[in-house]
Order: sequence, then C-alpha cells, then structure tokens
Amino acid sequence: MDDVLLRGLWQDPSPEFAARLRASLRRREIAAPERRRWPLAKLAVSAAVAAGVAGVFYVPAVRASAQSFLALFRVVHFVGVPVDSRRMDTLKQLDLPRLVGEHVQIVQDAGPPAPMVSLDQAATAAGFTLQVPAWLPKGARIVEMAVAGEHVVRVTADATRLQQVMDALGIRDLRVPDGLDGQAVTIHVPPVAMVRYEHGSRHTRLFQARSPEVAVPDGVDLAALGEIGLRIFGLSREDARTFSRVIDWQTTLLVPLPPTARSFKEVDIAGSRGIAIQAQPPNASLTNIVLWSRGGRVFALMSVQGMSDVVQMANSVQ
Amino acid sequence: MGLDDVLPGRLSAWISAAEPDWDAVFGEQLPRVYNFFRYRFGETADIEDLTGRTFEKAWHARSRYRRDLAGFSTWLLSIARNVAADHHRRSRPHVPIEHAAVMAAGPTPEDQALRRSDGKHLAVLLARLPDRDRELIALKFGAGMNNRAIAKVTGLSESNVGTILHRAVHALRAQW
Repeated sequence: MDDVLLRGLWQDPSPEFAARLRASLRRREIAAPERRRWPLAKLAVSAAVAAGVAGVFYVPAVRASAQSFLALFRVVHFVGVPVDSRRMDTLKQLDLPRLVGEHVQIVQDAGPPAPMVSLDQAATAAGFTLQVPAWLPKGARIVEMAVAGEHVVRVTADATRLQQVMDALGIRDLRVPDGLDGQAVTIHVPPVAMVRYEHGSRHTRLFQARSPEVAVPDGVDLAALGEIGLRIFGLSREDARTFSRVIDWQTTLLVPLPPTARSFKEVDIAGSRGIAIQAQPPNASLTNIVLWSRGGRVFALMSVQGMSDVVQMANSVQ
Repeated sequence: MGLDDVLPGRLSAWISAAEPDWDAVFGEQLPRVYNFFRYRFGETADIEDLTGRTFEKAWHARSRYRRDLAGFSTWLLSIARNVAADHHRRSRPHVPIEHAAVMAAGPTPEDQALRRSDGKHLAVLLARLPDRDRELIALKFGAGMNNRAIAKVTGLSESNVGTILHRAVHALRAQW
C-alpha cells in the first residue's frame, strides 16, 4: 500500500454542490454586509510605532491634559519601511502583545463601524463632508457606506521594557533616551468614513479621516525614538541613523511594508505626495493600496483593480 | 481592550486586511475541506452538508481570521475540525458490547466484496482506526496538509504527528 492508494478516497466535490454552496455564500454576503474594524485605525496607530514607542508603554495612572503636550504629530507624509519576514517572525516570537497588553489604555473605543444609508448621513456621523472619486471604473457603484467613531489610545513609556525588546533584537549600540520612562503618549484617531464600491466581482474601498494625531510630551527625543523604531523594524544601523536624522518625525507616518508587499513607490495624487503599495497576501487577490494626505485629511484607497485605475480614482477624489 | 489596534505584533495588519479573494479561496479550499470530511467519516456522513457548514461558519467568522496567526487553510481546517467534532458527538453510535468483537475482527464478507474498489476498501480500513489517527489521516491525505500544518491545527507536536501518522499508515498497510 503506497501513498497513491492512501489518496484513493480523494475526489472532487460535484460542480453542482460547489455552485450551490458558492451561491449560498454570496447570498449571505449581500444580505449581511460585515461590520469589522478597519485598517486605517491600525495605520494611524503605527505612527506610535514609528516613534519607536508602541511596544513599551503602559497605562498611565493619571490622565494628562492635552495642553501639556507640546509635540503634536499629524500625518502629512508617508514613508514605507520594508520589514523582512525574518524580523516579522522575531517580533512575533517576542510575544509583544503580551508585553504591551497591560500597558495600553483604550480611552475611547471606536467600536465596529456603523452602516450608513447615504453620503449625507455618513458626513453627519463623521463630522466632515465625504470626498469621493469623480472617476470610477465602468459599472462601479456604491454598495456600502459606514463610519467608525473616534478612537483614542493612551500608552505610557516603560524604558525597561523597551530596553528588553532592544536586547532581544540584538540592538546594543542604542540606549533608551533619558527621561522617557513614565511619559504618556495619546493617539487620537478621528472618525473614519468608508465607502465601498463594487464593480463586477471586484471591490474598492475608500477610507478617509481627519489626520490622526499623536500627542507626545515635551522633551521626548522623537528622532532618537524614531531611530530605535527603525532598528526594531530591522533597518541597518547606518540606514536607521541616516533616516532618523532627515525625517520630519512630526509629520511623517512610517508605513511598515511586510513581506506580502510586492512593490512600493511614491506617487503624486492631485499635487500631494502619496505612496502606492502592491500587496499579495496569501489566499487573497493582488491588492493595490494608495495612501495620501491632503488638506488635513488622510485617504486610503484599497482595490483589486489595476494600479493605474486605483491611482486614477485617487486623483479624482474631490 | 482592543489590543488588535495597537500592537506592534500586528504592524502589517492594515495592509494584510485586504479582503481575501473569496472566489479564489473557495476554489482552492473546497476540495480540501470536502475530502477532509470524506476521509474523516467516509460514507457515514453527509459530506456536502459538513463541508457547507464549514464554509458558512468561516464566512460568518471571516472578520476574526487573523492572517498573521495562521495560514488561511489552517484556519479553515480548524473550523472543519470543530464541525467534525460536533458531528461526531451527535452521531456517535452506541454499539452493543457484543458487537465490538465483530468490529475488531478481520475482514467481513462485505469487506471482501468492497475490496474490489481500493477506495472503498480504504474507507473500511479507515473506519477501524482510532478517532485521532483517522483525523490525522484525513488532514494529511484528505486536506493535503503537511505535518507542520497538522501540528498547528491539532496542537500536537510535529514529531508526534509524524509518529502517529507513521503508525496509522503502518496499521492500514498491515490490513490491506
């Protein structure tokens, strides 16, 4: 008896069954659009990571007032930072969720997004008039609108934890900046609106929100923290040093590019500098993502359409 | 606490949050799930019903699929295992003790007749395996998983999976 015989029971499901099941799942999709958290919040939160601090904060005992913050981060530019799979694996092995879990306070939870029936209703819920693409692929139509509420997270630095992470990653030439321990950082993600378009079996999602803000206490050396953050991502010593010195840490959001990102480039979106990422997650279609910021608002367009179409859509958002 | 939104361990989550291509997923995974149940239960269960329930559960829970924690097929087969366990609990036959000896004995005349078909003969032999062994065989040869993936789904160590499979295949060979 060999493996061929062991596979003797294997047979394809009947086409009729496959078609029946597929149709049943599609009916469910139409009947009950899913409510789930959106990636833009995660994107905004990575600003804290960009500052090299997200993994090392704990819940502050006392709520600090906004007035005490002097350094305020707002997204104006995006910069992609490749993170290789080995570093991803290492970060996972460090069990950062456990390390950070007790150190993060959700001040205000956005909860799942609420469905909207019109752009006007979405605008009222989001607190701003939604901008939408004037150009759409042929046959595209809006099939879903939703708005997620405000999300506020506060984290407080734990220098010991940060040093432990750095040690575990072999980062021995940098030191945690003095005065970091106990400092609180507040990450504020304003309401996020999403419009989903369907064209044939393809979907495109446009996310937009006022720029997320990260309020950092006065005296925190953002460049030093940024350099640590870049090293945690896996950048070389030289690259991290150079990069941390030229970047404007108060307006630039670092976007980690995981191994699933196949390509990355800067793009011009109606006069604003943005980034375009092509990603191929496992078991998912090739997805094109364009991020840009304009007029104090951050946009993300995610689609399985070709990149030229996605950029054209982005350019027509008004 | 909504840690998913703030953990560095999920740095890439936003980019990975691209919707799975459900058509592609469906086409790739349907035969694997379907055959997992075929190997697991043979003709004693409604394989299409179990497969359908698995996909419906997966569809319903798709927002909870965490790409950074498990490959999609691993996640889907975990759901299939739960569906199989439910089915097993509900349909486990209560065999009178006097029949147990018959079940444990060698091939019956019916078995001999079935032997004309290797597939059917295999089904008969699989039915005699302990549950755990049969499940691992189903994951290996029905769902087409490697030992590492099976270890992830079952929580067994990879070496343990290898040992159990080796023993199970040896037992099948001995009875073939």
